[in-house]
Amino acid sequence: MARSMWRGAIQFGLVTIPVKLYLATEQSGIGFNLLHASCLNRIQMKVYCPHHDEVIPRSETVRGYEWSKGKYVVVTEEDIDSVPLKTMRSIEIELFVKAARENAPTQFVKQAYYLEPEQIGAKAFYLLKSVLAEQNKSAICKIVLKDREQLAALNPFSKTMLLTTLHWPDEIRAMDELNLPEDEIDIKASEKKMAEQLVASMTGEFDADEYADGYRQALMNVIEKKVAGEKPEPQERAAPTNITDLMAALEASVSAARSDRTAVKDEKPKRATRKAKPATAKAAKAAADKSEEPRQRRRKTA
Amino acid sequence: MPGEQLGLPIEPGGAPDRLPARILPMQPAEGIGPFDDPAYLFEPWWPGVRATAWVEGHELVRLQAAGLADALGSFVELADELPERLMDDGTVLDGWLLALDDGGWLDTELLRRRLSGDRSAGRPAFVASDLLWSGGTSWQRRSFAARRRRLETVLLDGDRCVVSHALRGDGTLLAEALARFGIEGISARRLDARHRGGPAGEAWLRLPIHPAEVVERPRLALIQRLPLTA
Repeated sequence: MARSMWRGAIQFGLVTIPVKLYLATEQSGIGFNLLHASCLNRIQMKVYCPHHDEVIPRSETVRGYEWSKGKYVVVTEEDIDSVPLKTMRSIEIELFVKAARENAPTQFVKQAYYLEPEQIGAKAFYLLKSVLAEQNKSAICKIVLKDREQLAALNPFSKTMLLTTLHWPDEIRAMDELNLPEDEIDIKASEKKMAEQLVASMTGEFDADEYADGYRQALMNVIEKKVAGEKPEPQERAAPTNITDLMAALEASVSAARSDRTAVKDEKPKRATRKAKPATAKAAKAAADKSEEPRQRRRKTA
Repeated sequence: MPGEQLGLPIEPGGAPDRLPARILPMQPAEGIGPFDDPAYLFEPWWPGVRATAWVEGHELVRLQAAGLADALGSFVELADELPERLMDDGTVLDGWLLALDDGGWLDTELLRRRLSGDRSAGRPAFVASDLLWSGGTSWQRRSFAARRRRLETVLLDGDRCVVSHALRGDGTLLAEALARFGIEGISARRLDARHRGGPAGEAWLRLPIHPAEVVERPRLALIQRLPLTA
């Protein structure tokens, strides 16, 4: 059973929808431990106080905010609990916006969470979901997670809704230092048409199942071999070949095709000679128009 | 023939200023399928990017890929090999830029990466199919047969630069042989046609072929002519 990491309620207007939050993603990378190279034991990270010149337990640490250079104020759990925010136990919807890609601020995302409605709020939950979906809108909201008020977007997703936390505007870097000469670029109509054709031809349904982390799997194979006591072998690479090899392969293929034809011809000496096909669409049409005429040569050559 | 190659007039220093600023490329007409005709030379429509290679002063000075900015920066290996294999100067060759994987097979993804500036992607190759200038003189008004003979004489096959394999008259045979390579078309050029910029009509046809098996990487042709850089 999945464990919710937050409980609260979606709030907008006079409507309250109790929900639970679940992490929608997880890190699937391979984790390593740091070992002492000589004994292969795990090393430990000690918390060290340079003022007392001693290692201290984590229980003796507190959180401090540096309000001036070298000056700190201690912030306790009680201080955090006493923060007077409406969003402490609620997902406070501020407004609804078009769920469009060009809505730039909603593209700087941090983390996705699934929402699960409490039984009592299920109807209102799905009512909100259906309206967002039908009107292609996102709800921009605020929520307090991990001691911080977060900006978030709420969107219909499969059988639930997805809450995606966003970066605040002051966390998004300016693009001033990048060289982005969009206004200076002259794109010809033919180039644009070509690009549009490319995009159209490669447009399809995105299926995430078709993609896999190949590096992770390859690394796991190496680890499993080492665990089994085998020495991982370097990946075999074919001996380098060049373009002349490809030409030779093509030549061999032509020879093979020619031999096949000769064999067939020997078996069926009365087989009709292969006729030339109309080369172009125009020629094909002309050939069709003259379909009742004798076809000695179907393709007109220049 | 080796004798012909040795007998070529090679002027020291070449003709560095005589190549034109631009040559309008021929545009092939779309055909509907392979055919046999002795008036035509058939070769694979290599799944790469069409390009002209400009050699002046025994240096590859430009690699003009169709619709792209100069691709020379992405195919630097050709700058070393092509002038070395070319027994001529003041030359413009027409052909295909390709990328090969470690097994020596054509790889469209590697080509795409190459064109995006990734010099480590695969091994580049240039397959020449026509010669437009030679010895600082335009050959565009000469027949394709003459240009092709000249090309086969002046360009010696190397690891990365070759003259495309071609068959005279046997279009259907070539199409049959190409099926196993996953190549989707053949080029058919009239041997008596001059090089004429713009639509080529029946002087040059691109004929689609349909491999027996469905091949992967079918989108290679689509990466042609996309702007490489601004």
